[in-house]
Amino acid sequence: MHNRTTRSRRLPLALAASALLGTTALSGCSVANSQESFSGGSSAASDTLRVVLQQEPPTLEACESNLTSTGVVIRSTITEPLIERNPTSGELEPKLATEWSSKDDQTWTLKLREGVKFHDGSDFTAADAVATIDRAVNSKLGCNVEGYVFGDDDLKLKEVDDYTVEVTAAKKDPILPLRLSFLEVVPEETSTTEKVREPIGTGPYQLDEWQAGQSINASAFADYWGDAPEFKKATYQWRSEGSVRAAMITSGEADIATGLSPEDNIGDFGVSYPNNETVALRMHADTAPFDDIRIRRAVNYAIDKESIVASLYGGRDTVAAQLVPAGVVGHSDDLPAWEYDPQKAKDLVAEAKAAGTDVSAPINFVVRTAQFPKIQELAQVIQEQLTQAGLTVNLKMLETSQHLTYQVRPFPTNEDGAIMLMTQHGNQAGDAAFTVDQYMTSKGAQSAFGTPELDKLIEEADAATGDDRQAAFEKVFKYQNDEVVQFAHIAHQTGMLGISKAVSYEPNSSSGDELRLADVTVAK
Amino acid sequence: MLTYLRKRIIASALPLVVVIIGVFALARMTGNPAALYLPLNATDTMREEFAARNGLDQPILVQMAQYFGGIFRLDFGTSMRTGEDAATMALRAFPATLQLAATTMIIAILLAVVVGSVAAMKPNGIWDRCSSFISMTAASIPDFWLAIVGIWVFAITLGWVPTSGVVGAAAWFLPVATLVMRPFGTLVQVIRGAMVSALSEPYIKLARSKGATEYRVIGQHALRNAAAPGLTVAGDLTVGLVNGAVVVETIFGWPGIGKLMIDSIMQRDFAVLQACVLLTAVAIFILNILIDLGYALLDPRVRPSAGARKRRKARAAQGPTQGSDPRTPQLVGASMATTESIRGN
Repeated sequence: MHNRTTRSRRLPLALAASALLGTTALSGCSVANSQESFSGGSSAASDTLRVVLQQEPPTLEACESNLTSTGVVIRSTITEPLIERNPTSGELEPKLATEWSSKDDQTWTLKLREGVKFHDGSDFTAADAVATIDRAVNSKLGCNVEGYVFGDDDLKLKEVDDYTVEVTAAKKDPILPLRLSFLEVVPEETSTTEKVREPIGTGPYQLDEWQAGQSINASAFADYWGDAPEFKKATYQWRSEGSVRAAMITSGEADIATGLSPEDNIGDFGVSYPNNETVALRMHADTAPFDDIRIRRAVNYAIDKESIVASLYGGRDTVAAQLVPAGVVGHSDDLPAWEYDPQKAKDLVAEAKAAGTDVSAPINFVVRTAQFPKIQELAQVIQEQLTQAGLTVNLKMLETSQHLTYQVRPFPTNEDGAIMLMTQHGNQAGDAAFTVDQYMTSKGAQSAFGTPELDKLIEEADAATGDDRQAAFEKVFKYQNDEVVQFAHIAHQTGMLGISKAVSYEPNSSSGDELRLADVTVAK
Repeated sequence: MLTYLRKRIIASALPLVVVIIGVFALARMTGNPAALYLPLNATDTMREEFAARNGLDQPILVQMAQYFGGIFRLDFGTSMRTGEDAATMALRAFPATLQLAATTMIIAILLAVVVGSVAAMKPNGIWDRCSSFISMTAASIPDFWLAIVGIWVFAITLGWVPTSGVVGAAAWFLPVATLVMRPFGTLVQVIRGAMVSALSEPYIKLARSKGATEYRVIGQHALRNAAAPGLTVAGDLTVGLVNGAVVVETIFGWPGIGKLMIDSIMQRDFAVLQACVLLTAVAIFILNILIDLGYALLDPRVRPSAGARKRRKARAAQGPTQGSDPRTPQLVGASMATTESIRGN
């Protein structure tokens, strides 16, 4: 009896211990399918380029490459587009298409590059180009790039010969080549019924292995049609904490880190670049006090943008007067930002009050948590400055999904008071049409209101080409600031990369969305 | 014991079902995922197509029926975010979390037993005060702060271990060291308290007067009786870790289920969220049963089946109907012997 009880009392402890030890032993000190060993803070990158991203790509599907987390890996590294937009000059440049032309801005003829091979060894021909466009734009796959760039209208496609393709839009489309620059080319055999997590492309690097949750490995493609990249291999990892990404650069564990901010303690390794993102406040004019244009103007006068840029963003950002930064077709260099004039703001509020506007009506200031560095501080500064101007502002910090219900139509209507949304808009396409169509037209997905006059100006600008197009969009931005005032623009932002001393890379405005590994070289 | 087990399983299965239904319904009440997955300027047609493709256009009860039907076919749906099978994603992430939890708890328990026992030998002695200070601090340091400071000291300044990641044995140091603190601190206090009261029991005096060595007194007699509260608290702490150590997994890029769950919540990736919750709920359910079993085996006073049978037998002895279970006398005998041995060992 005595023995038996002793045994039974030992049993649970023994069970628990062996279960715990067993689990650990099974692991053999390695997690899941990890293989390599830690190289102990070596700073020399040898032949492998190590990149650390903010998040794991959800998928590497080519027709979702307009998503930052997907595009940053595949665009112009694994896969390539027909036409490429130079992020610095804004000009379209040949990639897998060598030339393109149209007589009527509706049917475009593209000549394709010969001698290009896919990673599976097959040749790139017109059939692949047609299949790529058809799959992304005309299929039922629900590609993100379709919604982002093309909308509901399908494109008519024709294979003229092995290296010539004809693309016809539903109506005149002078920027169709720009739209096509968003499509990354995949082989004809790619599934049209399911999205593909690991695409086959023509890019300078091919995918070797994706260890889900841990890393993506790629290697230089031996049969690449262009210049061979300097690094033979590349590895992507991801860490959501900015300070950890920065630490990986300073400790020599990574060569390039994306999405950093100066608070991440990156020191000399941080390189900032204009990232085409603009921060603005969107005022919904359906209720008081924003139904009075004087109040919307007062908001613009009340915010001290110069000080915000200088104190919160270290003078790297620039004060904004419109929703698109310099470098985007339609940006007006001459449009002045609203000056900071708190007295004028107070006067306008008083004037509106005298005219019967309910200026004490609450303003719900909707802001997305952690959307960009120091957003909470920015929101508090704005709230304070608007309060000083005599307005009642309630700050609502929301997470992404809830914030989106305010960002995109249909907007919530059960709000007590008016809505003012902080929005961060990135125009990566390089043409103002991608901004104004959704932010400023009366029915735009992200536009709270508009006027028939502004809609007409936008329609004219969309159809214009060349210098007329530039002038027409400048007019649109000026008209919004003078007569509509849906927006109070704050700043054009900058991004920051961490770059180790072992490599050399010059970031540009699209580095956050498209990190071309072939442009990275060994530091001299 | 089997009756006890059966009762525990039935009692724990109900919360499991409630959790699954709750997660299913609540997740869908927090907003339409279409806005997260489609471009902001997506047209209405695209939104309708998206809803239809993911079955979100069906009434919620139909969706739930389909989901439960899927569970019985072991089909947990497809991730909206990655297009992968949701169960595959959850099962891939879970071992990483289990490994981390197991390693952490083994180290925490071993350390806590040593530190707590030594502290209890001389209550209010210098070592007791020191260990009390250390354990209080360990239990209350925020893990986020500790992780960042750990990276700065051990990875950047000293360069001994990698900042993050899962490659190589050295990568385990920072995540485990960060996670060990809270269970260690909590357990030291529990074990110290239990040991202090165990050491003042008469049977310890008896053991000492019999000339048992101090090692034997502490290790064989006192610690065994102090183990029950330790097991309960350690069990609770393990349950917390099995759920995923979100902060540590996020900071160190540890591909565990906590990070996966948070990502699926933020992205409204319903299928993955449900698969993760189901998996961790089942794991916690099993863990709870093991803890209960361990506790019941460790301390017969909480073993209800034995108690119930004892009462039944007592009633049977008084009344005309005789208990027919042949195991009853044996079990009662065993439990009496256990009680006896605890008291007078």
